[in-house]
Amino acid sequence: MDANNLNVIVGEGTCGIAAGSKEVIEAFQKYAPEINIKSVGCVGMCHQEVIAEINDNNGNRYIYGQVTKKTVPQIIKFHKGEGEPLDENLIYSPEKQDSHKWQYLGHQTRIALRNVGNLDPTSISDYEKRDGYKAIKKIVAEMTPDQVIEEIRISGIRGRGGAGFPTHVKWDFARKSEGDVKYLICNGDEGDPGAFMDRSLLEGDPHNVIEGMLIAAYAIGATKGYAYVRAEYPLAVKNFGKAIEDAHALGVLGENIQGSGFSFDIKIKEGAGAFVCGEETALIASIEGDRGMPRCKPPFPAVKGLFGKPTIINNVETLANLPWIINNGGKAYAAYGTEDSKGTKVFALAGAIKKGGLVEVPMGTKIRDVLEDIGGGSSSGKPFKAVQLGGPSGGCIPESLFDTTIEYASINATGAIMGSGGMIVMDGSTCMVDLAKYFLSFTQLESCGKCTFCRIGTLRMRELLTKICDGEAEMSDLDTLDELAEQITKSSLCGLGQTAPNPVVTTLRYFRGEYEAHIKDKSCPAAVCKSLITHTIVPADCTGCSLCEIQCPVGAITGEKKVKGSYAIIQAKCINCGMCFEVCNSKAIQVK
Amino acid sequence: MSQALEAKVEPETVLEWIKRIGSDSSSTVPLLQAVQSEYGYLPRAAMDLIVKNSDITGRQVYGVATFYSQFRLKPVGRHIIKICHGTACHVSGADRLNTSLRHLLNIDDEEQDTAENGSYTIEQVACIGCCSQAPVMVISDEVSGNLTGANAQRALKKHAKKSEEVVANL
Ligand SMILES: Cc1cc2nc3c(=O)[nH]c(=O)nc-3n(C[C@H](O)[C@H](O)[C@H](O)COP(=O)(O)O)c2cc1C
Ligand code: FES
Repeated sequence: MDANNLNVIVGEGTCGIAAGSKEVIEAFQKYAPEINIKSVGCVGMCHQEVIAEINDNNGNRYIYGQVTKKTVPQIIKFHKGEGEPLDENLIYSPEKQDSHKWQYLGHQTRIALRNVGNLDPTSISDYEKRDGYKAIKKIVAEMTPDQVIEEIRISGIRGRGGAGFPTHVKWDFARKSEGDVKYLICNGDEGDPGAFMDRSLLEGDPHNVIEGMLIAAYAIGATKGYAYVRAEYPLAVKNFGKAIEDAHALGVLGENIQGSGFSFDIKIKEGAGAFVCGEETALIASIEGDRGMPRCKPPFPAVKGLFGKPTIINNVETLANLPWIINNGGKAYAAYGTEDSKGTKVFALAGAIKKGGLVEVPMGTKIRDVLEDIGGGSSSGKPFKAVQLGGPSGGCIPESLFDTTIEYASINATGAIMGSGGMIVMDGSTCMVDLAKYFLSFTQLESCGKCTFCRIGTLRMRELLTKICDGEAEMSDLDTLDELAEQITKSSLCGLGQTAPNPVVTTLRYFRGEYEAHIKDKSCPAAVCKSLITHTIVPADCTGCSLCEIQCPVGAITGEKKVKGSYAIIQAKCINCGMCFEVCNSKAIQVK
Repeated sequence: MSQALEAKVEPETVLEWIKRIGSDSSSTVPLLQAVQSEYGYLPRAAMDLIVKNSDITGRQVYGVATFYSQFRLKPVGRHIIKICHGTACHVSGADRLNTSLRHLLNIDDEEQDTAENGSYTIEQVACIGCCSQAPVMVISDEVSGNLTGANAQRALKKHAKKSEEVVANL
């Protein structure tokens, strides 16, 4: 076969780059300089990165996973008609359409993510080929703003940024607010440290988000827009910026769009690393050039927001659904999901899961089905223990409740929240007390300091959790935790403080036994809390390789090289960092 | 060490940014971002220039500079290592990356984050959005994932060799 007719598509989202996509592309260029290479965003099969898709001149698709520069020559050879196919890396091919790897996508329903990984995010014509900018052209020509709002009402979509507020209600407020200028802000702050849906959308399908912003702006009557993007997402900023320029050139953004008299423009604002800036009023303060501190509502931003003007803030994922809803009708969207929650939701699946990545499923799917059918089960082989939803504002759902369906009401009933879509899976190697401490430390650091309970209450909770992890707490400390949790929730102005205790409350509810083990038995069942564990070397298993001695940062390991069983840990020096455990090839290090 | 890393601020450059980005109060964050991306931190002289030549007050500059975790008031090393401490990375051993790299760079003092020779600064960040490859770190602009303490050291050594830096415990 002639390699000139081959097209290679490589996933170059941040995760693809992290897995080495640059090296893979270089290898393709080196071994087959004649082929066309195109990079796309992250398709969401992050566990399979680097992903390369080959399209041959017969229109056949071959998708390979975990490609490295070493496997590239074999792939090229096969497609030039020589050698064997690289079967273990093949995810999809004309002959192999239902591999278990491919099921990862097969079990999903992709609306928000429909384009991600399927188009070159830097090419506006790629987006146009997939019905891009059809929705905005349609509404400016055929629909009134009220009709757009009505269509969104029918779709039943609720905000995907965490709070789940019905989108059409918010829009209606803003539409009716008086104001010569109105603003639309795309919230791309993605503060949950363990979620990356919005990153993938901004990086991998920026035009879709822009079109979503245009639809929202048209509905509320906004003429100016901001995209507030997290500081840690440089590629998102780059791709989104290029998309704005190209949209201008195409005449779908800017003055008098498509001759309709509707004008709208977008500016990018890069965040500067503050979780609280995801909150609407803090985000507004941040764009205005101040410290990102929330203020009292009302007045709601829809009435008095950015620079005192009516403002709507929508999450990236919410916006990414809008073009599809306009093109297919609100009814088609509402056909997915349940009575309480319509449509689909994207999750960022990570942690102790075999196939981590982006998952979009209809509302009403069971948590267990996401983890088993799509995620492929636990990565360690150990049973699941819990899943964390909603990040620092959310909670842990124990394995016993994995039959809970994904919809706002049933998730709230467990004490967790739907959140923006972070889904971190845990097995027995995660200590729930340590996790609660982790989240509390996060919110305590990120509290803007305006409300006393949020500022100091979270610090007290953090201190108590540290005490528990150090084995120095008493049972009565658990009651103090409960009490503080209630007070912080009740007396904080914004969602950060109101939800900060959630990780503690849910772990206390479902994993109280672990807290008690730390307090009463001075032991950490998951062997994580450093003050409660010891590392020892089992002489019978030690091969005398000396790796642990080399890696120990505090010189706590001594022994004689090449003498089996000679290595030992000086407990007085050991800081339980776990480096020896990690490097030992013969599993001779015991942690208890 | 810190003396050597202190940046020399060219007033023309700062004035140029003010002209390009804006001198109203909503330009505070982007202006400071421009300063930091040039010097790696916010030198006092640059902040003074902004206050003198724009509508932004000193209160606002200092308030913003100390509020957002992105901004640093102290000089940094020639390269920055960001270790992700997001949830996925936390439960997958981000702490060990920190221990092993600090060991390699000989940064013992917990209060310090820059190697003695000014080569590297270690920073903690919350999630860079590659959670399914946790634990993750970024050296300069290169992201690497699925790390252990030992291969994080390998990645740093490779970077050091390429950029002709000496790391203490090589
Ligand atoms: C502390 C805090 C952090 C938040 N972080 C985000 C965020 O990172 N991204 C987001 O879209 N919404 C975030 N929100 C929710 C927003 O305030 C807001 O509800 C949302 O952006 C509205 O968009 P939606 O209606 O489309 O969901 C946060 C809220 C709070 C209280
Ligand atoms: S938690 Fe580390 S990349 Fe998201």
